[in-house]
Amino acid sequence: MIRAMRRVRVMGPRRELEGTLRVLQDLGSMHLGSPPRLPALNPSPTTRREQRLVRQLRALVADAETARTLLDLPQTPVDSPPPVPAPWPSWARQARQLRRRAEQLRERRQRLEEERALLGKYREMLDAFSGLFEAGRLPAAVRAYHIVLRPGQASVVEPLRQALAEALDSAFELRTRTLSAGDTALLLLVPLPRTGRVERLLGESGVQEVPLPAGYERATAVEALPRMRARLDALPALLEEVDGERKIEAAVAAGALPPMLAAAQDAISRLEAVGHAASTRTAFILEGWVPAPDLPELGEALRQRIGPEITVEELPTAPDVDAPVVLQNPRLFRPFQLLVEMLPLPTYGSIDPTPFVAVFFPVFFGLMVGDIGYGVVMLGLGVLLHRRSRPGTPLHAVAQIALVCSVFTVIFGVLFGELFGDAGRRVLGLHPLVLDREEPKDIVSFLILCVGIGGVHVLLGLVLGVFNAMHGHHRRQALGRGLSAVMILLVVVALLAAVKLLPAQFLTPTVVALLVAFPLLIIAEGIVAPVELLATMGNILSYARIMALGTASVMLAVVANRLAGAMGSVVVGAIFALLFHLVNFALGLFSPTVHALRLHYVEFFGRFYSPGGVRYRPFTHWRTH
Amino acid sequence: MQLFWITLSAALAISIPALATAWAQSRIGPAAAASLAEKPELSTTVIVMLAIPETMSILGFVVAMFIMLRAGG
Repeated sequence: MIRAMRRVRVMGPRRELEGTLRVLQDLGSMHLGSPPRLPALNPSPTTRREQRLVRQLRALVADAETARTLLDLPQTPVDSPPPVPAPWPSWARQARQLRRRAEQLRERRQRLEEERALLGKYREMLDAFSGLFEAGRLPAAVRAYHIVLRPGQASVVEPLRQALAEALDSAFELRTRTLSAGDTALLLLVPLPRTGRVERLLGESGVQEVPLPAGYERATAVEALPRMRARLDALPALLEEVDGERKIEAAVAAGALPPMLAAAQDAISRLEAVGHAASTRTAFILEGWVPAPDLPELGEALRQRIGPEITVEELPTAPDVDAPVVLQNPRLFRPFQLLVEMLPLPTYGSIDPTPFVAVFFPVFFGLMVGDIGYGVVMLGLGVLLHRRSRPGTPLHAVAQIALVCSVFTVIFGVLFGELFGDAGRRVLGLHPLVLDREEPKDIVSFLILCVGIGGVHVLLGLVLGVFNAMHGHHRRQALGRGLSAVMILLVVVALLAAVKLLPAQFLTPTVVALLVAFPLLIIAEGIVAPVELLATMGNILSYARIMALGTASVMLAVVANRLAGAMGSVVVGAIFALLFHLVNFALGLFSPTVHALRLHYVEFFGRFYSPGGVRYRPFTHWRTH
Repeated sequence: MQLFWITLSAALAISIPALATAWAQSRIGPAAAASLAEKPELSTTVIVMLAIPETMSILGFVVAMFIMLRAGG
């Protein structure tokens, strides 16, 4: 059901607006509406001081969030109230310092990581050339190029050598070595005045110099290698040092950031909420919505904490103003709210379909899968998910829905006598109690059952549509929905009488009633009414998908079992059967869910559901959002 | 010979709607992916949209089963 809301108006002296908002935030029950439009009232303007404060608080929040993210701190709830007045300047300074320090540590770590990666890459290359040079520095007039070629690029070496010989008259030295990963390392030494020409040639050959790390540019391999090794050995300790500093910063931030973040977000909310009030020079008015049971507490709290000059008045609900919507259902049905909330919420005052979804969704799912074995496996997975997920999260609701669906799957499995297809019958001697989904005659009965359930479901939707239309004072629409429901019933009775499943005497009066109802339907709903009636009949036939998916599921399971027998080897057969059942189980989780949802969203909700409700968002503390 | 025609009819009854479903879903799929990239909250609508053309296959399957059952199975 949709929780009953009361429209309220809170009035008081202008100077008490901030205090009032603080009380409302503590209570966390009022959904603030637009500023009321009444004569002599203006929207409450925020002062320049308040605007500046909002900007400063946003900067504080940005600093604190950046520091929290960089230091890998989780969002932790704050239970104690913030100090009044809040020390904003010192908090802002602290947040800024924490952010800067976290950024510095991140940059230091990045630099060290990059250096380690670069030195590691060079070490092997320089190792390869270490024997080629005598110890000492390169002559000042020589430039060294270090190049690494990928395995497929080695063919460019000889053309490059020829091009260099032509261009430099053999005034160069080119050495190559093959590295462990198949790359080719090139060391090219050329006189400094010829470097421009050489770089053009290198570019034309498609090879690119890998620059040496800073500080090693003028060194030979023999000189650079020991320094690189020493630096590589020192880097892990430096990285650990940075990590240690980061841990200390994180410990400081873990204590400091949550209270300032919560207080700043709360203050921003309060300052923004000022925009929901209208005021004169001396008084303010706030309007909004409160759940009916919370209304007395609201008035009492405001009188106690602000004073008797604050008044809370309940307003009549205007038909053109939509109250916010929050679904509230008994515990058993609550997980299924998730399936309803996946669509836009129903409008206030209309019907919440959650209880109907909670009844029909597991039935449809169970009818489609209908297997004890699959149901038990699903039950196990549901229990696991239920234990692993936190209460109140969507995942927890999914686990609860899975548990209910698995129970219905087991129940229908018992009724159909199925355990991993026909394995239960072969091994344990199970027998179907109601329907045998492998028997051709029972398949037809199963189809009739599914379409029959569809008829009941769609008729229920039409009846709910009548209630919805009556509630919204749309009498003509209510009459149309009612007539559609009656006509569908009459069509079903006429068909049953025609095929002698009902006494033949029913046929004539039913047809006469249909002929009378038809023009009435056109008068009520217009010329499109017959088309809609046909669409409704089509919707009922759409429930044949329950039978189709159910039959396909049992057939796949039977095929899996037969494959096991046809393999010759018991082990190979069992593996094949297991894999096939696994595929069928995965399909059995996905397809029935999607199709059961579709039957609800399209066939059932289409008859009565009126989307477009405004979500109830109470004005409350940031940490409880 | 009769068995051949019955089998062919059942095969056509399921395969033609299956091809039609595949075609429809091939058009819905990219549009759905594009919509989801911009508005992830449309995921429910997208799932329902994808399930709508499957009605053709399902009804084709039902018709094929009836053909086989009427022919004695």
